[in-house]
Amino acid sequence: MKNFVNLNVNPCKMCMPMGSITAFYGVSKCMTILHGSQGCATYIRRHMATHFNEPIDVASSSLTEEGAVFGGEKNLIKGLDNLIKLYDPEVIGISTTCLAETIGEDTEGIVARYREARPDLRARIVTVQSAGYAGTQFEGFFRTLRALVEQTEQDATPNGRVNIVTGQISPADTRWLKGFVAAHGIDAIFLPDLSENLDGGHAEVYERLPSGGTPIADVAKMAGARATVELCTFYDEAYSPGAFLNNHFGVPLFRAALPTSLKDVDALAGILVGLGGRQNAAPTTNAKSNVGAACSRPPDAVNRARLRRLDAMVDSHKQNAQARAAVFGEPDFVYATCRLLVENGAMPVVAATGSVCPDFREKLAEVIAEVQGFHLGENPFIADDCDFTQIETAALEQRANVLIGSSDGRRISEKTGIPLVRCAFPIHDHVGGQRVRTLGYEGGLMLLDQVTNAVISGVETTFREELKGRYYHPSDSDHDASSASKVLSFSGQARESSKPRETALQAGDPVKGHPCFCGCEGARAARIHLPVAAGCNIQCGYCVRKYDCVNESRPGVTSGVLTPEAALARYLAARETIENLNVVGIAGPGDALASPAATLETLRLVREADKDVLFCLSTNGLALPEHIDALAALGLTHLTVTVNAVDPKIGARIYQHVDYRGMRLEGEAGAAALLANKFAGLARAKALGMQIKVNTVLLPGVNDAHVPEIMRAVKETGCVLSNIMPMIPVEGSALAHLGKADLAEVDRLRALCEADLPQMRHCAHCRADAAGPLGHDVPLPSALAEGKAS
Amino acid sequence: MKTSILEERQKSIGAGGAGRGLSCDQDSVSGSVSQRACVYCGARVVLNPITDAFHIVHGPIGCASYTWDIRGSLTSGSELYRNSFSTDLQERDVVFGGAKKLAAAIEEIVADYAPKLIFVYATCIVGVIGDDVDAVCRDAERRFGIRCIPVKSPGFSGNKSFGYKMACNAIMELILPHRLSEEAYQKEATGVNILGDYNLAGEMWIIENYLREIGVPVHATVTGDASYESLISAPRAALNIVQCAGSMIYLAGRMEEELGVPYERVSFFGVEDTTDSLLRVARRVGGPDAEDRARAFCARRAREIRPVVEAYRPHLEGKRAAIYVGGGFKAISLIRQFQSMGMEPVVVGTQTGRPEDYEVIRSLVGQECVVLDDANPAELETFMKLKGADILVGGVKERPLAYKLGVAFCDHNHERRHALAGFEGVVNFTKEIHDSINSPVWRAIA
Repeated sequence: MKNFVNLNVNPCKMCMPMGSITAFYGVSKCMTILHGSQGCATYIRRHMATHFNEPIDVASSSLTEEGAVFGGEKNLIKGLDNLIKLYDPEVIGISTTCLAETIGEDTEGIVARYREARPDLRARIVTVQSAGYAGTQFEGFFRTLRALVEQTEQDATPNGRVNIVTGQISPADTRWLKGFVAAHGIDAIFLPDLSENLDGGHAEVYERLPSGGTPIADVAKMAGARATVELCTFYDEAYSPGAFLNNHFGVPLFRAALPTSLKDVDALAGILVGLGGRQNAAPTTNAKSNVGAACSRPPDAVNRARLRRLDAMVDSHKQNAQARAAVFGEPDFVYATCRLLVENGAMPVVAATGSVCPDFREKLAEVIAEVQGFHLGENPFIADDCDFTQIETAALEQRANVLIGSSDGRRISEKTGIPLVRCAFPIHDHVGGQRVRTLGYEGGLMLLDQVTNAVISGVETTFREELKGRYYHPSDSDHDASSASKVLSFSGQARESSKPRETALQAGDPVKGHPCFCGCEGARAARIHLPVAAGCNIQCGYCVRKYDCVNESRPGVTSGVLTPEAALARYLAARETIENLNVVGIAGPGDALASPAATLETLRLVREADKDVLFCLSTNGLALPEHIDALAALGLTHLTVTVNAVDPKIGARIYQHVDYRGMRLEGEAGAAALLANKFAGLARAKALGMQIKVNTVLLPGVNDAHVPEIMRAVKETGCVLSNIMPMIPVEGSALAHLGKADLAEVDRLRALCEADLPQMRHCAHCRADAAGPLGHDVPLPSALAEGKAS
Repeated sequence: MKTSILEERQKSIGAGGAGRGLSCDQDSVSGSVSQRACVYCGARVVLNPITDAFHIVHGPIGCASYTWDIRGSLTSGSELYRNSFSTDLQERDVVFGGAKKLAAAIEEIVADYAPKLIFVYATCIVGVIGDDVDAVCRDAERRFGIRCIPVKSPGFSGNKSFGYKMACNAIMELILPHRLSEEAYQKEATGVNILGDYNLAGEMWIIENYLREIGVPVHATVTGDASYESLISAPRAALNIVQCAGSMIYLAGRMEEELGVPYERVSFFGVEDTTDSLLRVARRVGGPDAEDRARAFCARRAREIRPVVEAYRPHLEGKRAAIYVGGGFKAISLIRQFQSMGMEPVVVGTQTGRPEDYEVIRSLVGQECVVLDDANPAELETFMKLKGADILVGGVKERPLAYKLGVAFCDHNHERRHALAGFEGVVNFTKEIHDSINSPVWRAIA
């Protein structure tokens, strides 16, 4: 799926009411009502229930048409009355939705009138403006914390306690944080405290409204605390509870990142040590000076945990250096996780958030810069306001080998085969969302271990085959079929497909089995293109890369680039549904040999699973001499090379540049290099006995008169079939102005050239992920089925 | 002091047997914590299984985010429907209108994907800010020669079943141009369309296999594993068979009236319902010996699964079941299934049941059974405790409540990964009930 401008495709964010409800869950005996239509509450309940595995009760004012037109006061008041009857809460959170904000509800006015009309009202009411279109769950969460502090009458009498404010961290991480703070001898008020309400025990009597969380009486004491520690990196002063307490009550404010990385746990410990033992004096706001001035050291247990963390970091540092992580989610989570990765030598190749977060790029670039030198100049993808389509594209381009975030990344994982470490909200498809640990010396390490293990598994399950493919080159004399079968006999995985396959293959006539090479006779034969080769090494004047177009023809289009493993899975699944699936081809979407590792690995995996299927490859030929032997060793029998010109002068008008061995060659130099390699590769292919087809893109006014010459030249190389294709003009390409050659002209040229070479007239301009008989592409089974097939 | 039953909810709570009608199909009571979603949700869950359509949610991100790939509907073709497309409206769009953004989004899709079919869902704020979604869609159809169908589903415009209706209207809009002349219909119509199955865990395929077995061709599957091409063949069917009546009876009615396709209600949950349904379909549209084939087929399949079901029966007999599901048809099938297993339904409720559903439900259960419409967690808690339910059948939101109360649970939601329909489904269902109700974990917490 491409990246759209006006559409969010597969959102990496949720809406403000989600964050608001979650924050209210951290307050004791608090019931939330969403002022809006019924669905918002239900969706959010469902989302939270699957993640936390707790009953999630959220009321709704259930606005109807009448409410939307005449205002929702009546509904909201009735809703408040009803939820009080059912839940008897001490605190009521009212979060508005898109609908309430759009119709301009004066929620505070309604609440004021409600209070007045019910003088015996016991519950405190806190209102939050949380229109879904005005921010994500991240903003909704902090807005709610701020509203809680602002709207609770504060008692500023010094109480010696410390306020700890966090974003959405898991209940298990909250429990750790409480223990960690207590271990430093600090009496703290946590806002919020999600430790119990979203991860409760099995009690004998069910509490309809859980009583864990921060008592509202404690929230009222936050102004009297001796300091606030806000664990938040991307704060907005206007919605920061700590800033409010600091501005209005002079409570000193410390900020630190979520304590996932060693240095961030250290930083928090430093702040706590600084605050420890100074029960009666407010510290200065400079955390660094406090670390030095600490009168108490971190407690022993904490120290031991830290030493274990150091030990573990050393133990797995070499594996971590292999990690290329794509991290996505809330800005603070991505920041903290990338800090963890870089201090362990792992490379965050993608850092993305769905929120609109202006500082995100800069801060993340700063974090990742620490490890870029170690990785010798990687160029990571960093972006806010991202959807999962962008994240998927970036992960593939950056060759990520592990995804880190919520379970929403599972679709990318399913499709590309890149493993996903689930450690952020929401986790829908695994259990234990409420117990996820990412904070502290132990919690950060648990996350790191998962990342390390994902990388190790990736290597462990593939290295034998990969290294064999790379280094095991049998001698030239073995190059024919026997070398392929040798590779095969090693594996026990080869199995028969349930679909019948044309017997022409067994009869030993490779031409008959290939739908392109055998014309009408091949009408029943099917092929599958596996889109594994993303990059291209030349720029053709008729191709616009942003459309994913390949070197030649308008194929190129694919719905996604696959990893070799995913490609194998797709082939195996396709084999079950497509009859006469004789051929596996690699045709892009870039150039098959511009990404030789992916192409060779794919063919190797398929060959291992299927010793009979024909292999076919389409290339511009630039990298052909380097790889033709390896291709032959894998049993490649059919080769298509695009030849648009055999004169560098003409080639120079077609190719804008050619990237060859680290150099960008332009003009005739580029065309000449391309031409020389094409023919060297073709000669070798002929020597290896391959079936060779040459594609020629007909470019009116550029190479039309040149075509007969091309035919004669390629015939000498052993080419058996020519495919003259009219250019498909792609808007924005350098040669789009040429327009499409008319069919009569194409026919005339084909007839003219027929004398030299047989002409292909049934070309279907296949996509890079086509499957089926020519012109009858069949839809492939679901990605789920693909996953299972492997 | 906490109450458990709000006064305004009393009229939606009754018991088995005869008696005054139950109040249902009404707007939810504000503040009652209804388990229902909204109009948009109703429309989205019905249409989303159409695999090769672009489903564009015109609205703020939440609506799209919470319904992304929401159903476990499987596909034999395109994977497109598993993506979430949203115009992701922002504050400025709310002020200045979002129609332009929508039109641009459609243009972008057309430029790159040559779609045949786009659905545009209008959400709450679109209904308020007054974007003319109809005009944008009409314009797109005219300019690009595609089908671009608006789904009028602002959340506040009714309850979830109103959303089903809006989805049905959208489907009608899609298939109406492919109507046959009366003469052609009389001559050519064959086989059936399957309405109201969503191919959860491949259930549509199970039903299709059965129909193939007895020689009944299937045209459109609405909407499980549906595609544009298959849907527009719907007017050629001699009969619509309707499973989930709550979502699809309205479409069946319109198709009968406007296309002349009659319908028959069916259910493929449980041995009895499945057998009965296949026999009726065979009788109406099968060839001369279709009914005999159906009878033989059902007898054979029932025989095959009997030993498995019988093995579980002693462990399940006498247990009490609570049912809280989306629609009436599912509740009714579940009651029959539990009764055939020797279990007793003690609480039965639905989110969107219709009056006739509740009549059937009350006629099937005992007088001790509580029957309720649009229940909330407090009521479910109260009645499950009161009636000593051993298991609750419900959706994702109800599961943690059951577990907290120490009650077993059966996931009859649209995210499940195992088929509950057909003969295969009976085995899965029986096993799931057993796995939960007789799990050793209950001994640990007792």
